[in-house]
Amino acid sequence: MALLGVPVVFIALFSVGLRSNIPGAPVAFSLSNWSNFLTGGGGAFRGRFVYSMEVTLAVSVLTTLAAYPLAYFLSFVARHRRYALLLLLLAPFFTSYLLRVIAWQIILNNNGVVNSLLWDLHLRPQGDGVSWLIYSTFSVALVLFYSWIPFVSLPIFVVLENMDHRLQEAAADLGASRMSTFWKVTLPLSLPGVIAGFVFVLIPTTGEFITPLLVGGPNNQLFGNSIQAFFSATPDWNYGSVLAVALIVVVVVLTLLFGRFLQTDLRAEARPEQ
Amino acid sequence: MRPVSRIGSAGLAIYFWLFVVFLFAPLVILLIFSVNSSPTPTLPLAGFSTHWFHEAFSNTVLTNALVRSVFIALVAAVIATALGIMASLGLMALRGRSLSMALTLLLLPLVVPYICLAVGLLILVEVLGSGPSLIAVVLGHCVVVLPFAILVIMPRLRSLDPAMNEAALDLGASSFAALRLITLPLLAPALVSSGIICFVTSFDEFAIASFLAPSGQPTYPVFLYASARTPALLPEVIAVGALIIAGSVLLVVLAEGGRRWAERRLVGLTASQEAVLSTAAAEQQAVPVAMVND
Repeated sequence: MALLGVPVVFIALFSVGLRSNIPGAPVAFSLSNWSNFLTGGGGAFRGRFVYSMEVTLAVSVLTTLAAYPLAYFLSFVARHRRYALLLLLLAPFFTSYLLRVIAWQIILNNNGVVNSLLWDLHLRPQGDGVSWLIYSTFSVALVLFYSWIPFVSLPIFVVLENMDHRLQEAAADLGASRMSTFWKVTLPLSLPGVIAGFVFVLIPTTGEFITPLLVGGPNNQLFGNSIQAFFSATPDWNYGSVLAVALIVVVVVLTLLFGRFLQTDLRAEARPEQ
Repeated sequence: MRPVSRIGSAGLAIYFWLFVVFLFAPLVILLIFSVNSSPTPTLPLAGFSTHWFHEAFSNTVLTNALVRSVFIALVAAVIATALGIMASLGLMALRGRSLSMALTLLLLPLVVPYICLAVGLLILVEVLGSGPSLIAVVLGHCVVVLPFAILVIMPRLRSLDPAMNEAALDLGASSFAALRLITLPLLAPALVSSGIICFVTSFDEFAIASFLAPSGQPTYPVFLYASARTPALLPEVIAVGALIIAGSVLLVVLAEGGRRWAERRLVGLTASQEAVLSTAAAEQQAVPVAMVND
């Protein structure tokens, strides 16, 4: 626990100038880095932050939308094979994250799999790659979408499995069509799982920095990359800490905002009195 | 009426299987290029060759990085699982609000972005004067994998019948003997799962290792990242990557199958939702589902 708390405290100290990584530099409480980031000349980082949140939100929404039918298939169509198929869906998730990003790099590269296929099929002139395939918002979003979709279908599947299926039968008995049963019964009841899935992408993607490093161009770096840069390439730990604290605050706020919608087994188990 | 029409079922099935193809395609492509003789991973394929596997295993930087990562992951998995047992036993004693708070604290590393934790730990080791070291990497990994250990061990601990422990105590066992002879053996399947999940997560962790591993001692993901930007190294990396992908998929299937089999033997548990939940816990960056006030 201390191992988590202490680093966070130190980041906070650095962000207000009470510590410095430059030996001999004056150390004093100062909010100048904060005001620079929030209102002053740090507009580039504010812009980076807005871009990050846009990408993150888009990826979270798309992933959740695409994951719903997967979970629905597992729960209502696959029946007795559903756990085996779920495992199939989750298996890629257990392989190295970096390797999967590298695989996408190979696929999307300027002379990668997709482009060379297009050339071979004479759909595009030889040597002329599709420019937005890699080092673009598209490539960053695609790889993030790819990485998270198995995991998002999981909470939706759990909710669909736990649903009282007699409610759907009742709706059908009372004359509802399949469509209206879905829109009026199944979907509203599964919303907690949908929100959980959404948050499952939203939170980790907010701090993502590996995918943009490998498949993003200079304009597609996310907020996490800005933090990373301040601690490696151009060491300014004080400014970097400001960004890190800002990111932690955003993530904690998001968790608190959405966390109350998460109603899963562990939580139910944790409160047996209810 | 079936919940989904025949046409709907077929449509959903097609959608599902297309997604399976989408999910596995990049992995299959890595496997294909690992046995492709060309030094660049591009089409058309140049011919079958196991050349890159030989190259990879004679590259000592790569093999050392692999050994380093295995070692770090083993240590982190053992420490985190041990801490996970203690934390779960402690959590069992709590109820209501204090339980919610303790869970929130313990699961917090799941929401704090790895990059923030990584730079925080970097600051910490610099302030302490020790600088980046492999020990720092192990400790950092313990922090991030501990929540997974708890998420796997706690549900299992809760499902145990408290009467068994009480019976042991009534029959004169010390509380330590009851723990060792009754609780721990019953927890064994969860402990194995926890160990595997922590191992896999630590083995694959990049953010913390990239900041805390000393410059001459990269872990495997750190090496992987560096070589993704060095075309000459790429084929070797792909070869080892292909082996690791095959290995980890196998491990997951075996672990999940083995755990269900063992749990069914122990308490007649059917393949239930609990299995799904602990798979959920296995994820690299989950959201602490219990980390809510009310």
